[in-house]
Amino acid sequence: MFRRNRRLAVISALAATAVILSACAGSPEPVVETSKGEPDLNATLSVGLVLEPSNLDIRHTSGAAIEQILIDNVYEGLVTRSQDNTIEPRLASDYEVSDDGLTYTFTLNPDLTFHSGTALTSADVAASYEAVRTDATLQGNAEFASVASIAAPDAATVVITLTEPNQNFLFTLTGPAGLVFQTGDTTDLQTAENGTGPFTLENWSKGSTITFARYDDYWGEPAKVAEVVFEYIPDFTAGVNAALDGSLDVLTAVDPNLAPQLEDSGDFVLTTGRTTDKATLAFNNAKAPLDDARVREALRLAIDHEGLIEAVGAGETLYGPIPELDPGYEDLADVAPYDPERAKELLAEAGQKDLELTLTIPSFYGTTVPQVLVSDFAKVGVTLEVDAVEFPTWLEDVYTNKDYELSFVLHVEPRDFGNFANPDYYFSYDNPEVQSLYAEALAETDEEASAELLAKAARLVSEDHAADWLYNGATITAVSPLVAGFPEDSINSRINLAGVTKTAE
Amino acid sequence: MIRYTLTRGVLLIAGLLVSSVLIFLTLRVFPGDVAQLIAGTQASPATVEALREALGFNRPLVVQYGEWIGGVLSGDLGTSQLSGASVGAELAEKAQVTVPLGLMALVIAMLIAVPLGILSALWRGRASGTALSVTAQALAAVPVIWAGMMLIVVFAVWLGWLPAQGFPRGGWDHPWQAFRALILPALTIGIVEGAMLLRFVRSATLQARGQDFVRTAAAKGLSRNRALVQHGIPAVGLSIVTVLGLQVAGIIVGSVVIEQLFTLPGIGRMLVADVGTRDLIKVQSELLVLTGLVLVVGFVVDLIHHFVDPRQREAA
Repeated sequence: MFRRNRRLAVISALAATAVILSACAGSPEPVVETSKGEPDLNATLSVGLVLEPSNLDIRHTSGAAIEQILIDNVYEGLVTRSQDNTIEPRLASDYEVSDDGLTYTFTLNPDLTFHSGTALTSADVAASYEAVRTDATLQGNAEFASVASIAAPDAATVVITLTEPNQNFLFTLTGPAGLVFQTGDTTDLQTAENGTGPFTLENWSKGSTITFARYDDYWGEPAKVAEVVFEYIPDFTAGVNAALDGSLDVLTAVDPNLAPQLEDSGDFVLTTGRTTDKATLAFNNAKAPLDDARVREALRLAIDHEGLIEAVGAGETLYGPIPELDPGYEDLADVAPYDPERAKELLAEAGQKDLELTLTIPSFYGTTVPQVLVSDFAKVGVTLEVDAVEFPTWLEDVYTNKDYELSFVLHVEPRDFGNFANPDYYFSYDNPEVQSLYAEALAETDEEASAELLAKAARLVSEDHAADWLYNGATITAVSPLVAGFPEDSINSRINLAGVTKTAE
Repeated sequence: MIRYTLTRGVLLIAGLLVSSVLIFLTLRVFPGDVAQLIAGTQASPATVEALREALGFNRPLVVQYGEWIGGVLSGDLGTSQLSGASVGAELAEKAQVTVPLGLMALVIAMLIAVPLGILSALWRGRASGTALSVTAQALAAVPVIWAGMMLIVVFAVWLGWLPAQGFPRGGWDHPWQAFRALILPALTIGIVEGAMLLRFVRSATLQARGQDFVRTAAAKGLSRNRALVQHGIPAVGLSIVTVLGLQVAGIIVGSVVIEQLFTLPGIGRMLVADVGTRDLIKVQSELLVLTGLVLVVGFVVDLIHHFVDPRQREAA
């Protein structure tokens, strides 16, 4: 899914923000250690977030907002992923992949229990995964297409066999498809849960807060706070106000233009985390005049990416479909450097004079990006009209009906390169060479060799100018000095609260 | 009287039915639907279509309308297509924020408008009267959202006296906290609505001042202002009731904006969120309840008028 990203254009704050951000960008330590005193095990941690899940049924509903809070905290899978997207065991104590890449053998940790109190065995895993494999309405069903069988030879062992090697399979298991549910459970997952994680769902006040309580019988190390309250505040300014009046311990997704306010208050430490958010300027590759590669290239050359990032306030340049946290990343800056003169030449070559294009953008992304694009394109003689629409409208017009010219969306999912190998995806980008390279990369059992194939495919996509990647998003989090261990990277897709502590004032 | 009430009652029900059809049809014009939203951007068109079928979007509009309105008539406002939760239960929960907010705003508006409106009428021609009426004019022109932001900056961020956002998690379990959370939002709506109402009270008072019965009272030896306060104001009261009725709609609209600004989990914010997610059955029922509220208030105001004012009774 996509993350909301509303920007307030506070022009005067831009320069200051840019300096602050460049100072804190790229800090390597994954965790902020700001707390000094002893952690208070009875503490309530309140976390401000922007986007609320529409319901809690993680098996049937897609969306980063659900995964962000539920995976690892309430539900767990055999494996999970760390902040930098490497795969780690979770319910499984260990796993082995056969040399041919077809057989995955997992050994379960001892003493696993569901929140209902029932013990978790390999039979629950097998039943959960079998459901994903066979039920098309479950999240991850398509990714399970290559699963031949799921077996539970004994209570602590799960064996999954694939029909063909799939480099992404373990990663799929770190998402909703890999979560384990109690066999025959009748809990209504839309509003309640029965997971295995360190927290239980205590209360959901729709449109306001979701509360987790520590699960004291957790099989692993228990959580270090008694309660976590997620406060959903869709308005960025309201979020900052809430943080400043002391009602939040942590505010995620801070608007870069409002960040200095929080920093100046002295009540928060700001961190800048990496993400797999790709701010994607989609071209409708099937529609004239964008079916002409020269036009697409001209548009990319016309964009001053550094200037755009400065206006947005946070992020890194990204000139291809794969971000730094995903396998196959390569700096592709040479493919589309800022060159408005060359852009004009290309447009002339393509016979495009006084080109007029429409950008369809979900309205919650605000106006900063469209404004920069309008002005950059104007410099090469392209008039850009901006059509801001509601997200469901975007889904219908752009995503489903492909009725658009240019579109802007933050694609937040990790490892979603496959969208460029799928000619039916809304980009309508169809390059058989990319498709076969991607298939090869998936089938490759060696991780590094697979990443190399992906890098090769990504370069081709960028050289075809299938889209433009305006920037790789960074996420700013404001954390109270009383809080320690709050994750920093990738938190718009996963906030693992297991190690977070809060000190009494 | 009974005949009048019955006629108005029938009109009220007809009004509600017409609104329900309009609400139902206008919402169907929106592009995009909840099935696509649930399935997400990695779903195949077949999955989305299956979901659409399961949610009943493929059935004829008449059937969908009939099912909805049939439910509403039997007291069931339906279930959310997105979360499966009961709309009625959620409305009742959110009303715990919105109703007190509206009432507080109304009280504040009256506290501002009635005394100050009368004063500004009595002081007409004096500098203080002009200052009052100019201030009211200016405040009435202020957008609610801006007034709210100013109050947040001053009372929450600078002075730190009141919370800038949110409502206590336990709701009214902690009455003082809940009340505190509503002060700034209610003030925001109350001030702006109060300023509008003030101008009305002022002109109604001035009008009463010119009435024969006030002049007669003055001729009998009361001072002009005393005559106005003793005899004129009670007559103004009735027209204030009418305007208050209209004000209810203003307060509902104001609460949509204000709940957004103060992140209050009320009906206004729920409505905006549900429109955004195309949770159509919820939006329909919510709008119908709000429309019904405004229509009922209008109905009650009419009845009060009719009952209190003999001239209207004769006209009917």
